[in-house]
Amino acid sequence: MSFVVRQIALKSSGEEIIRRSVAEDAVLVIGRDGSSGIHLPDLAVDPRHARISAIDADTLLIESIGEQPFTVNGRSTTSSELEIATGAELAFGGHRITLAREAESGLPAFTVRRVEAVSESAEAIDIGSAYTLQKLLPGKRMSAWGFAALVLLTFLAVPIWSWATYQPLALHKDARRPAGIHGDTAWSSGNLSLAHKNLNNDCQACHVQPFVTVRDNACMTCHKTDAHQHIADGARLLKARGEPTGFTGFQRAVANAFNKPAGRCVECHTEHEGAGAMPATRQQFCTDCHDGLKSRLSDTKIADAADFGTAHPQFRPMLVTGIAGDGKPLRQRAVWQDGLKESTGLKFTHAQHLSKTNGIAQMVRRRPGQFAANDALGCKDCHQTDSGGARFQPVEMEKACQSCHSLTFDEIGGTFRTLRHGEPDQVVADLRAAFRGGMPPRPANLSGMARRIPGAAAQQSTAADYARAVHFYPMQADQAVTAVFSKGGMCYDCHTVTRGGGAATAGFSVQKVAQNGRYYNKGWFDHKDHRKSECVSCHIKATTSNEADAVLVPGIDGAGGCRSCHVGEGGAKLASAHVKEPVASGCAMCHEYHMDTGAPWKPADKRKGPALLTAAWDRPRHPTLQR
Amino acid sequence: MATTPAPGPAPRRRTGATRERQSTHEGFLVHKNGKWIKLSAALAAVLILLYIFVPLPPQHFGSTWLGYTLGTIGALLILWLTALGMRKRAITPGRWSLKAWTSAHVWLGVLLSVIGTLHSGFAFGWNVHTLAWSLMMIVIVSGIFGVTAYATLPRALSANRYDSEGAITEKQMVEALRSLDRQLHDAAQPLDRECAVLVDNSLEQDPFTGSIINRLTGRYPGDATREAAGELRRLRAHRPRIADDPLDKVDALLTRKEAMLARLRRHLRIKGWLQAWLYVHVPMTFALIAALSAHIVSVFFYW
Repeated sequence: MSFVVRQIALKSSGEEIIRRSVAEDAVLVIGRDGSSGIHLPDLAVDPRHARISAIDADTLLIESIGEQPFTVNGRSTTSSELEIATGAELAFGGHRITLAREAESGLPAFTVRRVEAVSESAEAIDIGSAYTLQKLLPGKRMSAWGFAALVLLTFLAVPIWSWATYQPLALHKDARRPAGIHGDTAWSSGNLSLAHKNLNNDCQACHVQPFVTVRDNACMTCHKTDAHQHIADGARLLKARGEPTGFTGFQRAVANAFNKPAGRCVECHTEHEGAGAMPATRQQFCTDCHDGLKSRLSDTKIADAADFGTAHPQFRPMLVTGIAGDGKPLRQRAVWQDGLKESTGLKFTHAQHLSKTNGIAQMVRRRPGQFAANDALGCKDCHQTDSGGARFQPVEMEKACQSCHSLTFDEIGGTFRTLRHGEPDQVVADLRAAFRGGMPPRPANLSGMARRIPGAAAQQSTAADYARAVHFYPMQADQAVTAVFSKGGMCYDCHTVTRGGGAATAGFSVQKVAQNGRYYNKGWFDHKDHRKSECVSCHIKATTSNEADAVLVPGIDGAGGCRSCHVGEGGAKLASAHVKEPVASGCAMCHEYHMDTGAPWKPADKRKGPALLTAAWDRPRHPTLQR
Repeated sequence: MATTPAPGPAPRRRTGATRERQSTHEGFLVHKNGKWIKLSAALAAVLILLYIFVPLPPQHFGSTWLGYTLGTIGALLILWLTALGMRKRAITPGRWSLKAWTSAHVWLGVLLSVIGTLHSGFAFGWNVHTLAWSLMMIVIVSGIFGVTAYATLPRALSANRYDSEGAITEKQMVEALRSLDRQLHDAAQPLDRECAVLVDNSLEQDPFTGSIINRLTGRYPGDATREAAGELRRLRAHRPRIADDPLDKVDALLTRKEAMLARLRRHLRIKGWLQAWLYVHVPMTFALIAALSAHIVSVFFYW
């Protein structure tokens, strides 16, 4: 059988050149080998790839020679029958062979056409893009919009949606968002302080309305009882602050323009500063008003104050000036000065009692273990702190004095009888009762008739004792009462005794004692924080003063004064004076904005910890530049 | 070039007598005697000094007057810097020539890292605000990388294009490969199936194949040409030597193709680095503008 082979080649112009040949063989070989009936110069084709033979006049058989497959009508195979009348399309490598019956000759004709380029590089290559990264990376434009959309969705749309979903939670004390994704937490610039930790997920608890700053009503939702006004009259507060001028005024105007009114809680109580304690308010917050207050608020009774180290007025302790008719102490504030006196109604010699050389010290040495120290009395033998440790309990006669200053007046059968402290009428009654019995019993060996002989020393001693007993044992009870209330008497030595009492006290009157528990009521002083210091380093007069009425609390300046260590917030005092152990002290160390009687609020991380011995405790922004 | 010629003697006619190059070119980095780098450095110094010495609270620095000012300047600067993408498509001479604009873009962009970081007050966290800062830094760092690439890589690109026969263009590289492929195709016709398939693999592999990783590293582990050359040499080692072995010619052609491919790929690698940074710089800029918008809206939303 003969086959027609039509090889089609393309001119560079795209025109086809057809080379027709007729193979007179019974078997037509398709292959890369030059001797093949259908020669395919294609490296993907075997040298002898397949052979075609006739089964009958209408059917051809094509089968692979080397078991390499080829494609018939789009399907890979190694053997196939081909209907000449129907025709077929064969594919070998980059060549396509179509089978059809040639009309003129009636022979089966194979039309061979190269459909793939010789190599990949021969394919059309777009030089413009091939050398770029265009096909290797997502387009810049697409990824730009993609990323932008992703960010806007995640950090703008979702947070706003979160806000919108939980809106009714605002201004409800115990309302909390359920756990879950809260997009708006991505807006949080930092964790809330420990006190507000449970609000971390509830942005709306404070941020009530969008584009409206946090207002006080949000704070007051929870802080109903613990947020006192600084002063009741808010208008006065604003007046004290004064109208901001210059750059500050400009800032104020900008803030107002952006809907940020002045005087809100959050201006001082800043948040989102990390999960620690709330930070302390800066001193400037106080001095904005109190520095030069008189110039803005002429009728104020408060002196101007700024930095403690340089511009704080002298202290004004509250002193006891006497006792009112109802027995309550009268108090009055006075500017602290050296040698200030008050009226306690007591007589006490601090210097004498604290001496290390006199009889009192000697007595302490004789009674080791009964006092705090074994060489002399110390402060704490009489003064005990209260339970909080901030201040001292009043000195009680029974605990502090009586172990030395006994009120014993009689001994009966080895038991001592004691006058009752604090009850003058009972004292008088007890004494009168004691003297109902008359004279002290005369010792039996003092017969009075015997002749004195040498060696009767014991008798002499007894006689002397008896004589003293008689002397101190007045014949009349009233004499005894008078003695005890007069100079040299038990009461008189410590108390102020006047005449003018009732009959029950034999006309004597003992002044009520007033011990001053707190001198500085506008500022907070805590003895606990100063326990590492000696008492006398501040109360320096304690070892020299022998007057109970002398005010021993220190003032602001001078020896023992607070400024001996406390140098103001930034240590401003250090610029002009040497301080051995400087302690930074902003206003809030002693003063409380929300005025109450307790200790001023202090950040939790400042409540404990070592004594404040550096001037740099208040988180200075640029520590190295401070000095 | 729009700039005035550099002062000095008029450029001499270049002859073989001197090899000194008289370049009047002034790059965009030092445009106008480094006007923009000086300005940016001065501004950065002023801002840092302001940050240190203006007494402002350490917390929430961004919401102080200086913080707001820096933030506003930074945001506007970001938008202006982004505008280079539009500006660069219109090349104009003069005072605001594209070169001047580019110089300002680069140095004010570097200055932005100072402005943005000071605005943050060094308070970073997992939030939208730090996201905006991070994206800004990514954009700036990728930009610095791009400038560095532009300053150093073109020299390597040129060097790669030159050989003893002169320079070769990108088009010529492809043409050379096509020619080698045609010759390989012809030379491989007599080969048996096993060898022909190896050569065919080489022909069928796109010279521009490979992922972005291959492109940027210049490593192509599955290279068919190298594999074909190696495999053919291995096969040949066990065959007796004959004269006119078609494998000789194929081997020589494959070696040449390998060399040409290596040069092409070096070229692609360098060009890749010259372009790749923009695929970070540009999309991240838009992500930054989105994050910046979210940052600004969030600040006022939860005012």
